[in-house]
Amino acid sequence: MLPLYLLTAAKNQPMLVELKSGETLNGHLINCDSWMNLTLRDVIQSSAGGDQFLLIPECYVRGNHIKYLRLPDEIMDQVKEANIQNMEQRNFNRHNQGRNNRGNFRGNKRYNNQGGRNQNQSRGQGNQGGQGGNGGYNRGGFNNATQ
Amino acid sequence: MRSNNNNRRDNNKPDGPKREAILDLSKYQDKQIRVKFIGGRQVIGTLKGFDQLMNLVLDDVKENLADPADDSKLLGKARSLGMVVVRGPSLLTVSPLDGSEIIDNPFAAEE
Repeated sequence: MLPLYLLTAAKNQPMLVELKSGETLNGHLINCDSWMNLTLRDVIQSSAGGDQFLLIPECYVRGNHIKYLRLPDEIMDQVKEANIQNMEQRNFNRHNQGRNNRGNFRGNKRYNNQGGRNQNQSRGQGNQGGQGGNGGYNRGGFNNATQ
Repeated sequence: MRSNNNNRRDNNKPDGPKREAILDLSKYQDKQIRVKFIGGRQVIGTLKGFDQLMNLVLDDVKENLADPADDSKLLGKARSLGMVVVRGPSLLTVSPLDGSEIIDNPFAAEE
């Protein structure tokens, strides 16, 4: 679980950001980048002493100067779910790629009948196939037609 | 169909953090914004220009002066600075002045 991935997945979620100066910002995350710079909306900005409060419609914050962020508890589960979905999508794409490039009969069969663990095994094949370039694609089409 | 390496790399990071700008400063063009700096200074000015590094050009800048003994405490006094170029790397926060207001402690009830 990478911190910036968690943060990216927390878009539109409410969060608390404390800056190194002790100021805190409560708001909903609009966006973040790879430096942890943030844009927040509907922000309540509290001074370090906790005696002044400012309501701001939108705020940009330097990632550099963030001490920590507090995110909602549910975010962990949401990210895990999203991760699994992404992983499946990726395996599926790679597998398709491998199949097209190689035109391997066994590869085809595996793709049709089985999922889960075996998909992972064949991922290596998919990678190799990817390097093969486009020539294999035509061959694959031909093989499929004859079988 | 994907065949080159670049695409595959992107595919590895389906929704990782971005590298491009996340704040569209053009919507604040000629609007008043509040800028806080690393170190505690704070100014209000009209945005006249900006670049990729978030260097800003501000006009009619008023700096809200802080207590010399305590940087975090603003005195409510301001001094006029006129036209200013703000260096991006020393920015802390940028927010529009329009629509911002001082409010009572919203967390008082919770504690």
